[in-house]
Amino acid sequence: MKAFIFATVLAVLSVLMPMHSQADTGIQEFRRGSWQGILKAHAGRPTMVHFWGVTCGPCKVELPLLGAFLKEEPRLDVVMISADLVPSMRDATLTMLKNAGLDNTENWIFSDGFVERLRFEIDPAWQGDIPRTVLISRDGAVTTVEGTIDIADLKKWLDQQTVAGERPTAAARN
Amino acid sequence: MHRTTITAIAAVLLLQSGASAQMSHRHASEAACDGPELRCATKVTPVFDATGRLWLAWMAGGRISVASSIDLGKTTSAPVQVSNEELALDWGPDARPAIVVDKARRVFVAFSTFKDKAFNGKVVYTQSTDEGKTFEPPLPITSNTESQRFVATALDADGSLFAVWLDKRNRVPAKAANKPYDGAALFFTWFKDGVATNAEASIAKDNTCECCRLGVAFAGAGRPAVVFRNIFDGGVRDHAVLTFDNPTSPSHLSRVSNDNWVINACPHHGPNLTISPGGTYHVTWFTSGSVRKGLFYARSVDNGQTYTTPLAIGTHDGGASRPYVLALQQKAAVVWKEFDGNSSVVRLMTSTDDGASWSDSRIIARTDDASDHPLLVSDGSRIFLSWMTKWDGYHLQLLGDAE
Repeated sequence: MKAFIFATVLAVLSVLMPMHSQADTGIQEFRRGSWQGILKAHAGRPTMVHFWGVTCGPCKVELPLLGAFLKEEPRLDVVMISADLVPSMRDATLTMLKNAGLDNTENWIFSDGFVERLRFEIDPAWQGDIPRTVLISRDGAVTTVEGTIDIADLKKWLDQQTVAGERPTAAARN
Repeated sequence: MHRTTITAIAAVLLLQSGASAQMSHRHASEAACDGPELRCATKVTPVFDATGRLWLAWMAGGRISVASSIDLGKTTSAPVQVSNEELALDWGPDARPAIVVDKARRVFVAFSTFKDKAFNGKVVYTQSTDEGKTFEPPLPITSNTESQRFVATALDADGSLFAVWLDKRNRVPAKAANKPYDGAALFFTWFKDGVATNAEASIAKDNTCECCRLGVAFAGAGRPAVVFRNIFDGGVRDHAVLTFDNPTSPSHLSRVSNDNWVINACPHHGPNLTISPGGTYHVTWFTSGSVRKGLFYARSVDNGQTYTTPLAIGTHDGGASRPYVLALQQKAAVVWKEFDGNSSVVRLMTSTDDGASWSDSRIIARTDDASDHPLLVSDGSRIFLSWMTKWDGYHLQLLGDAE
């Protein structure tokens, strides 16, 4: 019964409180329901959602490469989500983002200790491996890339999303 | 409806009531509370000593603590912290303290810490020679100072202690030579009567995956076997078992299955190995390869040379994770976690013929918040589920004969 009461209290709180709060570091707290909010906010625009973490070796290599590519690429919305276990380290997260030139993108950090629930909302089959990139096309079609993404593949996907003559989308990071 | 009911099979032993903890817990945290006590733990590792005493090592409040129980967890000794100061403990999903207790009740605990802002790891160990009342100051497990994580330990028949971990030291010469270096390396050492026999440590296998737990068991006296996520040619991160011919010769590497998971990533999801008294190797693992995805079990009846066709466990799209296997005589059990959108459950399947055939699975425990990986532990005659949950505290649950 205590779990039911607790879940009820949480549900009430989630209604009363903003879906996600933005911390003073500019990194938003990713909680239950955040994923649907992100999908809704970027619906209709080519969007890259990138999951990474501060202890992930391949992420450390990949992040600056992504940052360099995205700096010159205005055509897609970018959402970066630190998916390390809670408690993650906000300062370390921000430092890595700054070093990669990604601190001004739309940044989120897992902020619910019940990570299975967060991942389930995103992809029930995802067991937490990072880095992981989810590419969402204008029509909502999702392409998931496990591991580091090839920048050439990312550019190719983006080129396919860009209809000739269509006005480029605003980049979320701006 | 009591949604957090833990389903008892033969007995349910609650070491800690989570009731008081829930009043102050932070939803954002994996832990129910911030202190070093057991109810605040995120990772709990159990082991039985030769006399049937249960020992627990846990990670809570930036500390590693140890306590024991002579009544299967109904009560415990006063917890003892193994360090005087708070530690920067490795909080990765597959990190946990390792604990073994020898026949003289020497308690050996090893764990990894983050030693710098780049999250390079450092494996340290500590021992108690007074039955867990006090612990020596933690010492590095090797004299090398490159990053180390994911230590696993096991006791040999003669009381020697085998320790193995993932070690990044070989990236240094590779970088100096301007050559790429993939993953990490498996390094090992032995302790005799509590003394490290090789401070530098020895390499068992280079270019392994760098962020998954290891599994270790003994194929015979002086013959440890280690399961790990290897990096095969082409960046394929599939599982392998390395069996030693003698204490210093890791001679035989066998591939458990060809899943073809080509990925340059940290799966944070390591395998597990047990070897039954009859010599059967039992392995469980997670993969997201092109050949198969999800949790799997396979066994080897030819001393780890070849493995059976992988048996799928649980529901991949149902978030099945963290499989763990333990064999005891002809009995074997596999547990894993699944998430149904609201709750995490532990499912169990069992075998009475050393893994040749398996029962249907069923739910044996459930919780509605964060939880540790489900583990199995044996006192030599019985198998128990060991599971730390944020909501309900620590559980030691006997798997009865019916299972």
